[in-house]
Amino acid sequence: MEDLIRASLDHCVKCTICETACPVAKVTPLFPGPKYEGPQAERFRQPTGTADASVDYCSGCGICTQVCPQGVKVAEINSRARARYKDENGVRARDRIVARPGVTGRLGTPVAPLVNRVMANGAARRVIEKTIGIHHAAAVPTYAGHSFQRWAKLHQRRVPSRPDARSVIFFHGCSVNWFEPDLGRKVVAVLERNGVEVKMPRQGCCGLPLQSNGLFDDARRALGRLMRELTAGGGDDPVVASSTSCGLMLKREGREILGLEDDALSALGARTFDVCEYLLDLHDRGLLDTGFQPLAMTVIYHAACQQRGHAMGTPALDLLRLVPELQVIQSDADCCGMAGTYGIKKEKYDIGMAVGERLFAQVRRVKPDAVACDGETCRWQITEATSQASLHPVELLFRAYGLEL
Amino acid sequence: MQTVETEVLVVGGGATGVGVARDAAMRGFATVLVERKDLAEGTTGRYHGLLHSGGRYAVKDPRAARECAAENVILRRVAADCIEDTGGLFVATPWDDPDFGDRFLAGCAATGVPVEEMEVAEALKREPAVNPGITRAFLVADASMDSWKLVWACARSAEQHGASILTYRQVTDVLRAGDEVAGVVVVDSRTGEQTTIHARMTVNATGAWAGKLAGLAGCRPVDVIPGKGIMIAMNHRIVNTVVNRCTMPSDGDIIVPIRTVSVVGTTDSPVIDPDQLEVTQAEVDHMLDEGEKLVPGFRQARALRVWAGARPLFGDRSPGDDDTRDITRAHALIDHAERDGITGFVTITGGKATTFRLMAEETVDLVARTLDPGNERPCRTAVELLPDSQSEAYYSVGSRLAQREAHLQDDQLVCECELVSRRDLEETLARRPTANIDDVRRALRLGMGPCQGGFCTYRATGILHRQERLDQSTANGALLDFLQERWKGVHPILYGDQLRQARLDDWLYQGLMDVEHLPDPAHP
Amino acid sequence: MSGNGRDGEVVVIGIGLAGLVAGLRLAEAGRSVRLLAKGVGSTHLSGGTVDVLGYAPARVLCPAGALPEFVAAHPDHPYARIGTEVVGAAIEWLKGRMDNPRYVGDLSRNFLLPTALGVAKPSAVAPQTMAGGDVTRGGGFAIVGLPGLKDFYPGMVAGNLASAVGVAGEVIEARPVEVDVALDGRADVGPLAYAGRLDDPAFRAQLAARLKGRLGEDEVVGMPAVLGLADAEQVWEELEARIGRPVFEIPTLPPSVPGIRLYRSLLGALRRAGVRVAIGGEVVGAEIDGTRVTGVYTDAANGARFHPAAGVVLASGGWAAGGLEMDSHWGLREPILGLPVTAVPEGVPRFRPGYFDHHPLARTGVAVDGSLRPVDGDGRVVFTNVRVAGATLAGAEPWKEKSGDGLSLSTGYHAAMSLLAEEG
Repeated sequence: MEDLIRASLDHCVKCTICETACPVAKVTPLFPGPKYEGPQAERFRQPTGTADASVDYCSGCGICTQVCPQGVKVAEINSRARARYKDENGVRARDRIVARPGVTGRLGTPVAPLVNRVMANGAARRVIEKTIGIHHAAAVPTYAGHSFQRWAKLHQRRVPSRPDARSVIFFHGCSVNWFEPDLGRKVVAVLERNGVEVKMPRQGCCGLPLQSNGLFDDARRALGRLMRELTAGGGDDPVVASSTSCGLMLKREGREILGLEDDALSALGARTFDVCEYLLDLHDRGLLDTGFQPLAMTVIYHAACQQRGHAMGTPALDLLRLVPELQVIQSDADCCGMAGTYGIKKEKYDIGMAVGERLFAQVRRVKPDAVACDGETCRWQITEATSQASLHPVELLFRAYGLEL
Repeated sequence: MQTVETEVLVVGGGATGVGVARDAAMRGFATVLVERKDLAEGTTGRYHGLLHSGGRYAVKDPRAARECAAENVILRRVAADCIEDTGGLFVATPWDDPDFGDRFLAGCAATGVPVEEMEVAEALKREPAVNPGITRAFLVADASMDSWKLVWACARSAEQHGASILTYRQVTDVLRAGDEVAGVVVVDSRTGEQTTIHARMTVNATGAWAGKLAGLAGCRPVDVIPGKGIMIAMNHRIVNTVVNRCTMPSDGDIIVPIRTVSVVGTTDSPVIDPDQLEVTQAEVDHMLDEGEKLVPGFRQARALRVWAGARPLFGDRSPGDDDTRDITRAHALIDHAERDGITGFVTITGGKATTFRLMAEETVDLVARTLDPGNERPCRTAVELLPDSQSEAYYSVGSRLAQREAHLQDDQLVCECELVSRRDLEETLARRPTANIDDVRRALRLGMGPCQGGFCTYRATGILHRQERLDQSTANGALLDFLQERWKGVHPILYGDQLRQARLDDWLYQGLMDVEHLPDPAHP
Repeated sequence: MSGNGRDGEVVVIGIGLAGLVAGLRLAEAGRSVRLLAKGVGSTHLSGGTVDVLGYAPARVLCPAGALPEFVAAHPDHPYARIGTEVVGAAIEWLKGRMDNPRYVGDLSRNFLLPTALGVAKPSAVAPQTMAGGDVTRGGGFAIVGLPGLKDFYPGMVAGNLASAVGVAGEVIEARPVEVDVALDGRADVGPLAYAGRLDDPAFRAQLAARLKGRLGEDEVVGMPAVLGLADAEQVWEELEARIGRPVFEIPTLPPSVPGIRLYRSLLGALRRAGVRVAIGGEVVGAEIDGTRVTGVYTDAANGARFHPAAGVVLASGGWAAGGLEMDSHWGLREPILGLPVTAVPEGVPRFRPGYFDHHPLARTGVAVDGSLRPVDGDGRVVFTNVRVAGATLAGAEPWKEKSGDGLSLSTGYHAAMSLLAEEG
């Protein structure tokens, strides 16, 4: 059988719509555009190896696939081409490091105060830029100093199990585990408020940053491991993900980009939901507690690129509209420019910032009380670029429920 | 009227013709070549591009097999730049008798065709799109060859050795002085200008049209039957190796990856006029069905274009023999002095692109013996590398992409599908000025990609208009002609993705640009 | 998983002009609307004008006058189905909602506007920024070429414009004017990139300065359609003021800046009217209950997602968009709802050998009644709560007639009106 992702290039009628939507091609000539890199260049590529270095400037945001009216899997073709290019030309040390937040998370947590101080130090950052290649001004997360899983283990022991309750498996991802454990706690609180029992098995990285850095074999291994970890308890509880990018790995990128044709993965993907998607579904079935207190705030909601890749609409927006007095403005920008690990790289930082400028300008203009976004690297990018607080939409629901940690 | 004096006149600008012109010029003969249209506009430009290993003829046509095997090695050496080393597979599909494979092996051994049987699993690993139900697989030295590149390289080499290559010159008359052919009269189809060319030897290298020219020269009928074959180009390389069915040659039994497409072919039916090659619905359906046997899911892939070429088939033929495939594919060299008592005229016909060099060698050997008996004028085309093949590196499908990477910011793409840059176009126009976009297509592959000229036709017209300082009417004509030319090859295979493309292209040219109401300055 | 449908929600499938118009018209009347699209649509590929009827087959100068005869001659044409008054109503409705830039024109007279090939094409309604190019003004035209813009050849435009036929023997003189502006190290600057530059006042000043001294006193200036994205009207007015001449835009090959402006205006209006828009998940099937469609399925990342619907507007496009499909066995179908598609008669080739011939496949599509409900070969309504709009419809040859925009606009409008009428 011919590979279906590559074969989708046949649907391209050269309409240029993907090019008009690509946030990277708009700001830099170094990236010739998704139509060029995807269905066009693919006709010139051998099964092994590809001649084009420019494919590495693709940020992997996936907007091209979303807007293509003919069903070309543009972003997926690009991702695979990038991986082949890296296979032929090698992956630099920096990319191998940033692709493993599970590892850097675990190693950095015991010495969190030190690491955080170093990463906040301008001189140190310049040294890091020179040696490793992470831009000195790039938004990097702060270590929490303790893991979410530690809290989760204790919490699960405290909370009694209710066999007849609705239960979910919480896929929290590396960012909650090492950098934003409080977010994880809020997600749990909101779910429990709605009568949902939250199971939190030990879990590692989904492999997304490995994939976007072209390390496909490692990504497949990571995803396989995660799959086993999430299904270790047996049963078929839905999986609820608090990161829209990591959730997408389970839903479809494992299959479409990594080429994992695995029944178990497909089955798991079919019952994976973004946390806002899950909550909104409860609401549709009349099961959501809508006793929200008013929040007199103005918030800009930015749907991250990979949020849109879920093709689930904007459940976060719909949920926030249930909160009295909360003014939600939808951002009109496509991409914040971080695109996972893209925007922290020295050679891509300026491109990332140019891509995100439209969003940053809107934030500066509107001066909201907060920016809500379901993607963690986007939140860090937005806050770094605008000095504006950013939070996950669920945090607003948490507040509106009158809950406290 | 202009008059030109030369020693060797070659009529026909396909592979054979330019091969003869090059060889003759290299051997020191003053040489002129005339071609009624663009080089390789005929059969040479209309086949699937296969550089035969010989495997295809190993059982059926041993002479052709032997020749192909030998020429394959030679061309790989002297024309490397025009050849992509794809390799070839012969596979026994569920519709083929696996025992034929033994006859195939024996035939290859007997004719010197290198072959190696492969594990089916290995073959499928190499080409995952191939029918998983194949029972046997053999590896041969098939390759794909860019015929326009080859022909123009030969022409350039011929010019470097002093030959004149004249395109768009139609022969209107063959000059006879008693029993001698003294030359021809040609008319430039673009300007109407007539030229008389006197030559000591006229070589009829018109392939499927050889019978017509021989008739014009007053010879006894030369029975060249045009054997029509249709081919369909699929939008991308579904396979990267040439894939043949391991059986006696039949319709649609080969898929050739050539440049960015894969071509499935072909049929074989005799026609009367090599200029009237109609593609029928039944033939298209047949090719798609055969393709589906080799590659399941073939019908879901995008068919880009269908065309027909006319093989030159020369040989004895019994009345009522409808399958022209039984005629040998080996070539025929006719010395009309011997056959018809008419001197100064030879015909070289039959054969295939793979053996063009050999055909040319034998022809020029005869010419040399006739014009310069007693002098040794050895043929060097088997050793002299063609221009641009000096590096002896094969062509690779990624080479245009790599070239493009180097010029991403400083050069526009005119034909995006085939990565043809503005500089490429302007340089080609400077070397070979033309108002015919189809000539540009043959030179650069402009318009040969998925959109079949949807975007680049407009751009090319605008650039031609400007660079060539064409008057408006000529520019409009170039645009309209190319739109019609592209339509000719797509309308019989419009379904699925290509139908979407054609509809979008119509939307742009008719709906957006209103092309059918271009003004005709002659009739305001 | 349910698509959180609201009661009585209408699902609009397709985000081309027909879908955008139907969705907005419905939302304005208070209906709950969900718009689903597998990608971005026809607006980005069209010229941005509203061509109602350009050729019937002779050139049409007055659509209002020509339409009655046209629909009488083509009783299966969508215009015949919906009635020509709807066309006028839809036009006025659209004009009332466009402001970047405003749209002008009506059915009384077609503008004759230069195309990228310099042909004077009849358009009933056009953005203000284009209307000034009407060839009936006669006189001098200076067609501006911008460096790096490979999809616009002023030489070709001017060369053909000079032979354009107006209405009363107007004499036209046209010439190309190549302007030199900085390219910032790129060889390829597309229409959208130029539009972005023109949104910048400093660039506008530079451009105007380069043009100013080179224009004849009575020349009108034709630019490729790149006069800004965010506020085209402001860009256009400012340029005219700086140059001191009338300026007009000429639509280019895609991406179409005027089309993108149209899209953004309508999309913004849709969002403000509370329509939920989801782009990227293809509609892959429907739930059917007798003669009603009760909902559709989209292809979400975690499987099929159901969207309950009280009504459906199918505006999924024609052959180019995949709203109508033909497979390699020459079977025609409408892939979303499985509606019957009118056929090419047995034995008739689908396409003719001449590029400009009338091709039998061209008029195929989904047949409808006067309310745009899909009907089968016997004229029976297939689904009572479905309306079909746009290029999916049978009976037209929009690219030859120059009627595509008019068709999409008026049938999208009528589809909404028809669904609203059902409520009462």
